[in-house]
Amino acid sequence: MQSFKSKNIKNVLDLLEDAAGKYTVKTAYSDQERSISFEEVLLKARAVGTYLIKHNTGEGPVAVMLKRSVDTIVVFLGVVYSGHAYAPVGLDIPDERREKILKRLQPSFIINEAMLPGIFNERIDRTLLDEKRKDILMTDPLYVIFTSGSGGDPKGVITSHLSLLNYIEGYTGVMGIDSGDVMAAQSPLDYIAAIRDIYVPLFTGVEDVLVPKEFFMQPDVLFDLLNERRVSCVGWSTSAISILTKLKAFKDKKPEFLRKICFSGSVMNGAVLRQWQEELPDAVFVNQYGPTETTASCTYYKIDHPVEEDEIIPIGIPYPDYRVFLISEDDAPVKQGEEGEIAVAGAGVTLGYINDPERTAAAFTCNPLEKAFYERIYRTGDIGVFREDGLLMFHGRKDRQIKHMGHRVELDEIESAAAASGIERSAALYDADRENLWLFYEGEIDTRTLALSLREKLPGFMVPRKIKNMDALPLLPNGKTDFNTLKSMIH
Amino acid sequence: MREKILEILTEVRPDIDFENETELVSGNILESFDIVQIVAELDDEFDIEISPKDLTAENFNSLDALEELIERLSGEG
Repeated sequence: MQSFKSKNIKNVLDLLEDAAGKYTVKTAYSDQERSISFEEVLLKARAVGTYLIKHNTGEGPVAVMLKRSVDTIVVFLGVVYSGHAYAPVGLDIPDERREKILKRLQPSFIINEAMLPGIFNERIDRTLLDEKRKDILMTDPLYVIFTSGSGGDPKGVITSHLSLLNYIEGYTGVMGIDSGDVMAAQSPLDYIAAIRDIYVPLFTGVEDVLVPKEFFMQPDVLFDLLNERRVSCVGWSTSAISILTKLKAFKDKKPEFLRKICFSGSVMNGAVLRQWQEELPDAVFVNQYGPTETTASCTYYKIDHPVEEDEIIPIGIPYPDYRVFLISEDDAPVKQGEEGEIAVAGAGVTLGYINDPERTAAAFTCNPLEKAFYERIYRTGDIGVFREDGLLMFHGRKDRQIKHMGHRVELDEIESAAAASGIERSAALYDADRENLWLFYEGEIDTRTLALSLREKLPGFMVPRKIKNMDALPLLPNGKTDFNTLKSMIH
Repeated sequence: MREKILEILTEVRPDIDFENETELVSGNILESFDIVQIVAELDDEFDIEISPKDLTAENFNSLDALEELIERLSGEG
């Protein structure tokens, strides 16, 4: 495939126009209600862009608060035509969290469902669009996606056109995706994994089918849809794949056309992957690793052998134009075989956290191993080790961040929400084997009332399903919570 | 049986009014990992095996539907 660089594609609008010219009436995106062709995406996005140029005179990103549908993707691209970055804000998150996000984002404009008919009806004005277009640089912000932050304050990761184009090109190359493929999207559109579902079609001409969330708890219904639409390629969260396996998805049916499978978001269990390999012997499986701050990903590993049930799967090697390396605790190089913090340099390093200079400066730093010039890097807070064969292995976290259902969760964010519910002492834990979040707490409030209160503050996946009231949390001699004792209680 | 089912459901999701809710799955009220936990506990408690073909919105949308499903599966065994 020809690189975006040689085709003079400098932003996602160039990419969209290139795709619309090549794939014209072919379907780009479909949901349960309808489908939309590449040409239609282009025309509707231009209408959205024109509307916004006329109605949004502010500076800063445009918040998009829409349900998951093909229209939402069109609106994202339309916002880009208007010269702004788009910021998807989920509808299914608690009001308190949405307010925090909007406060941090300071959007210039908010798009909601009721405004859509008027926006789509706008007459395209090419002069206005071209005027905006000439100012867009490939290093400009494309989108802002929020992710869990410690202290209960989500962080909005800003990503440029260049980072996005570089990653999507790397991903389509590794997965070997071409216009004959059909993709099926699992991710919510306000989550980082959705960038593959949105932009891989524009790169390759594939159709992307948006699968309703509830299909992932109905394996036969899901596999029927995949077979009916001849889905050949998916990039799903590790937990979605693992849940289907727990629900014995392969008992009656198989996704007959599925050949390319990427999973990411958390550590894949060897036994789960082994089962998928046995059920789909002709499929390619790719493990992908990386945070939102490095444009969804930074490394990948193509699984080249039947895995053992207890095998630890490498996170692999960097995508093109990423440099991934380890830094020791005292900011020195790390020898092969030793642990260090995973750091990332290159085109995938994003622009930082929106309206948040302090947390940006703490994580996006100058490379301490590069003395000659200012090399901007992102420090992941993840611990890694390079194996003898050069493959990177994931060894957990420096802090209390965990991955649950493919989402990042700062455990102290749950404790902050408990504190805001009137609980003075609580301790959040993760049982990775059973994929369960736990919360132990002291206080008079009953568990149901606490669960209800947490639901007003946290997204659903962050609310612990195991909540235990205790007379007193176990303490260490230094007065801190004794997490080891609590851990032994959940096993 | 109904009491026991309700107890299992409430343990997983104390925030939901299972007696009155009729769109647990199609309304995206239950998360997929809630279903995993509920299925495992129902299988254990009633000594049944809930298969992928039983995992449909119709069977899981309400307490009534779930009770019917479990009665049916218990009868089969």
